[in-house]
Amino acid sequence: MEAATSGAEEVEEEKKAEFDASEIEYASYGGEHHLPLIMSLVDQELSEPYSIFTYRYFVYLWPQLSFLAFHKGKCVGTVVCKMGEHRSTYRGYIAMLVVIKPYRGKGIATELVSRSISVMRESGCEEVTLEAEVTNKGALALYGRLGFIRAKRLFRYYLNGVDAFRLKLLFPQPELHPSLVMMANDDASQRHPANRPLEEIPEEQERF
Amino acid sequence: MDERRAEAAAAAAMGRHDGHPRPASIPSGDGSVWADVSPLLEAACADLQEGELIHGDNFNLFAAMSALEIMDPKMDSGMVCRYYSVDEAIENGAAPVPISFDKTVDVQCTIDIMDHLLACEGTWHKGHSLAQTVFSCIYLLRPERTSSHALLHSYCRIIRATCKAVVSVVSDARTHEEEDLFTMSYGLPLIGEDEKCLSMLNAVEETIARQLRACKAPSSGRKVIEDLEPLQNNPALEEGYCKAILCRLRFRKHFYHVLMCLKRPQGRGLQLARKHISSCLSELEIIRKSTEVLRSNDYGTHNSGEDKTTASGRQPVGFDASINTRLSAPTPPRSIKILSWSEAVDYFVKLLHDLDIICSFSLDASLEGILQFMVQFQKSHPDLVSRAHLQTLLIQDGKLYGRDSIFAVITKAAGLPEILRNHDIQNGECLVQLGQLVINLLKILSTNAAWQRRKLGKILQDWRVIHIQLELPFRQEMGEESGLSADQSGRQDILRQILVWVEEQTFWIASRFLMLGFELELYSPGEYCMVYWYIYVVLIKLAERMHHKMSFTNATEPAKTRGKKKKGSTKDTSRDIQMPASVLFLQSYICLAEGLTMMLAALRNERMLSQSPSPFNSDHERFIQHFELLQKAGVPDHISYQSFEESTKNVRFSTLVMYNYFKDAQRIAKEVKNSFPNDPDRQSELRRVEQVAEHNSIALTVLCRLGSLDPSLKVSFDFSHHPYFATAVVKRS
Repeated sequence: MEAATSGAEEVEEEKKAEFDASEIEYASYGGEHHLPLIMSLVDQELSEPYSIFTYRYFVYLWPQLSFLAFHKGKCVGTVVCKMGEHRSTYRGYIAMLVVIKPYRGKGIATELVSRSISVMRESGCEEVTLEAEVTNKGALALYGRLGFIRAKRLFRYYLNGVDAFRLKLLFPQPELHPSLVMMANDDASQRHPANRPLEEIPEEQERF
Repeated sequence: MDERRAEAAAAAAMGRHDGHPRPASIPSGDGSVWADVSPLLEAACADLQEGELIHGDNFNLFAAMSALEIMDPKMDSGMVCRYYSVDEAIENGAAPVPISFDKTVDVQCTIDIMDHLLACEGTWHKGHSLAQTVFSCIYLLRPERTSSHALLHSYCRIIRATCKAVVSVVSDARTHEEEDLFTMSYGLPLIGEDEKCLSMLNAVEETIARQLRACKAPSSGRKVIEDLEPLQNNPALEEGYCKAILCRLRFRKHFYHVLMCLKRPQGRGLQLARKHISSCLSELEIIRKSTEVLRSNDYGTHNSGEDKTTASGRQPVGFDASINTRLSAPTPPRSIKILSWSEAVDYFVKLLHDLDIICSFSLDASLEGILQFMVQFQKSHPDLVSRAHLQTLLIQDGKLYGRDSIFAVITKAAGLPEILRNHDIQNGECLVQLGQLVINLLKILSTNAAWQRRKLGKILQDWRVIHIQLELPFRQEMGEESGLSADQSGRQDILRQILVWVEEQTFWIASRFLMLGFELELYSPGEYCMVYWYIYVVLIKLAERMHHKMSFTNATEPAKTRGKKKKGSTKDTSRDIQMPASVLFLQSYICLAEGLTMMLAALRNERMLSQSPSPFNSDHERFIQHFELLQKAGVPDHISYQSFEESTKNVRFSTLVMYNYFKDAQRIAKEVKNSFPNDPDRQSELRRVEQVAEHNSIALTVLCRLGSLDPSLKVSFDFSHHPYFATAVVKRS
C-alpha cells in the first residue's frame, strides 16, 4: 500500500516540531480507542482511499504488528501491517506507514517500522514486503537503509497513476547459516500464530 | 423447493400478519431447515455500529478493500456529481444541437470539441479509461443526435471508429495486461458504422474545401459558386476557420487510414501507412499553427494557460467527465488529468514517429535483428498503442509477420543451412514448445519495461527447461555415436546447433533482465557492485555461446560459398580467425561491467562508500533476492553469492592500478566501430560505451593515486553517459 514519511536526509521546509526523540512514546495497537487515531492519520496523509473495513481487517487480525507514536499525548505516527502465507513463504506486509509532517526526519518512521519488522521476524516470517510510490524518495531511502531491495516496479499501481516499487526484505535464511538451523527447528512449532486462516492474496489483487 | 414449500416459507417470513404462531423452522427436505432470520437480523441491527463488521473466516484483504464507502467521493464512483444520466444532461442543455444558432459561435465551439477530444484521446492512450476520457463527450454517447450537424456528426463518427480500431489492436496484442483500463469499453457506443465514416468525412471535407476556395476567390469569380453558403457569417474569420477545420478533419482521415493500413496482413500496408503518417504529421503542424488564429478570434474571455485542452483556450461545450464514472470498473474513481492541448499534439507526433519507425523496419530481418530492433525501439519509451502495433505486426497467426514459420526463424537464427528449414524435426514436441517460447519472447519485448522485466525473469525457467530437454538425447547417446545412421546424425547436428542457440538466447534474456533493472531504477548504489558482477558473468557466457554458434556457422556455410567463388577464399579464411564483430561489441560491455565491478569492490573494501550495515540482513540476502530468478534457472550454473564474494573481497586500488579494464573497453569500442558502418544505432551505442569508459578510466586513475590517502574524496555514480553503465564522479568535499 503506501507510506507518508520522509527519509532522514530530506529537509522539510514546513514548520518543524521542536522535540527530543526521547519524548516520543511508542505503543502497540491497544484496541478500539486507537482505531480512529490511525484512520485519521492515514486519511490525512495517504493518497489511496481505504474503507473502515480495511483498517479493521489489519488491526483485528494482527494487532501485534501495528504501532502508534505519541508526542505529549498526540498521535503523530502509525504503522499498520499483516503477515501470512504467500506462495509457500510466510511473509510480512507493511500496509500503511504515516508520520505527520512536522515530526518527519527524526527517525520516528524508522522506529515504527523496525518494531513491526522485529515482531514479524520473531513470528517466523521469511521476508517482508510493501509497496511505495516511486516518487516517495523519503520512504524509499528509509526502507533502503533497513535493507529492503526494490524487487519490482509496478506500472501505474496507484489510483493517481503513479508507479510503485515493490520492496522486499529477506531475513537471513537458516539453511545458509548452518549454526542457526537448530534454533529455526525449535521455532517451527510457533511459526503460525493461533489457528487463524492466513489467506494468500494474489499479487495482482493487491492493487485497486 | 416446490411451490407449496415456497409459500410456506413466505408465510413464515411474514408470520406476524396471519395471527398464527410462527413455526420456528420449516423442513427443507435434505436434512436442513428453513428458518426465519428476521429476529436475528433485528438483533444484529441493534448490535452492530456503523463501520463494524462481522468477521467471517473467508474475509480477506481483497474483500476488505472491495468494500466502498457510499457517498465518499474518494471511493464511490457512482456518486452523482452533476447529472444522473446522459439524458438528464442533454435535457439540461449540456450538449445542444446545433451548439449555437449563431453560425460563427457554432463553428468555434465545434473546433473546441475537436480539440478537447484529441486531448482526451491522448489521455486515453496514456492509460486512462475510455469512458472517462473520450467518452466524456456527450455528443459521442448519443450518435443519432448529431445527424443534423454534418460537421460534428462526421467527426464523432470517425472518432468512434478510430477508438474501436485502437481497442481492437490493443486487445489482440494483449500488451495491455498491465494497462487493463485501456480496452474497457462496455456500455459505450463503439459498435458498427466503420464503413461509412470515411465517406461522410470526405463529403464534409469537400464542402469545406469549396467554402475555403469560395472565400479566397476574387469577388468576380464568386458568382460561379454562388449557391454555396459560407461556413459561418463573419467573412473576416471565414478563411481561418475553414483552414482550422480542414486540417483537423484531414488529420482524422489520415490517422484512420494509418490504422487500417497497419491492420493489413503480413505487413502489406506498411508503405502506404508511412504516406498517411507523413500526411498526419503535416496536418498536425497546420493544426498547431491554427492556434494563433483561433486565439485571436476569440469571442469571449479566456485565459490561455498551459493546461488548456483546446487551441482557443476555451472550455469545450458538451463534456462531462463524471457522466460515465459508473461505467468504469467497480473500483474507486481514478483521478484523471486530461492532457493539455499542446501535450496532446506532442503525444500524437510521438505516436506517429514511433509508428513510422515500425513501418520502416525491414520485413526480412533476422530474429537477432528483430530483437535488437525491439530493444532499440523500447529505448524511446513508446506508448501502449505503438507497442501493440509492433507486436501484431511481428506475430500473426503464430508466424513471424504472418508469413515465416517459427521453426524456419529459429533455424536461421541458429545458423543452420536453409535446406534444413523444412526438416520434419520441427514437429517434435520440444521444438514446437521452443517455437512457442520465441513467440512469447517477442510478445514480452513489446510490453512496457516494468511488465517486461517481470515476464523475462519468469520465462528464464522455461528456456532452461527446453535446454535440458534438448540436451537429454546427447547425454544418453554419448558413446553410441558410431552406430548412428546418416539421417540420425543429421538430426543430431541440427539439434546440437539449436541447443547452442537456445543457450545463447537464454543468456541474452538474462542480460536484458539485468539491464532493465537500471532503467526501472531497481538497484541502489550499494547493490551496483553485485549487479555489474552478475552482468559480467552473464555477458561472458553470452559471448561464448555467440562465438561458438558463429564458428559452427562459419565451418558449414562458407564451405559452400567457398566452393562457388574460389577466388575470394583467402579473404574468408582471414575472417574466420578474427573475433566476429558482434562478439567484440559484447566484449566492450564485458570490460565495462568488469571494470565497474572492480572499482566498486575496491571502493567498498577500502570503505570509501558511506554505507552502514542494515539492521535486519546483509548483502548476501540482497544478492539472493535480486538474482533469485536467474539462480533458480541456473543462469549461469554454479554461480552463487560465494563466487561473487570470492572474486571481489580482495580487490584494492593498489591491485587495480595494474590493470585498467576501462582502457580495454575504450580500445575495443573504438576498434569495433568500423565494423558497423551502416548501423547508426550501434555507432551511437559504441560512442556511449567509449564515453563511460573514458570517464571511469580517469576516475580510476585518480582513485588509485589518491584514493585511501585523501579522505575528502567523495565518489558517486550517475548515468549521464549510458543508461545501464554508470559513470563514476569523484569530488573533493
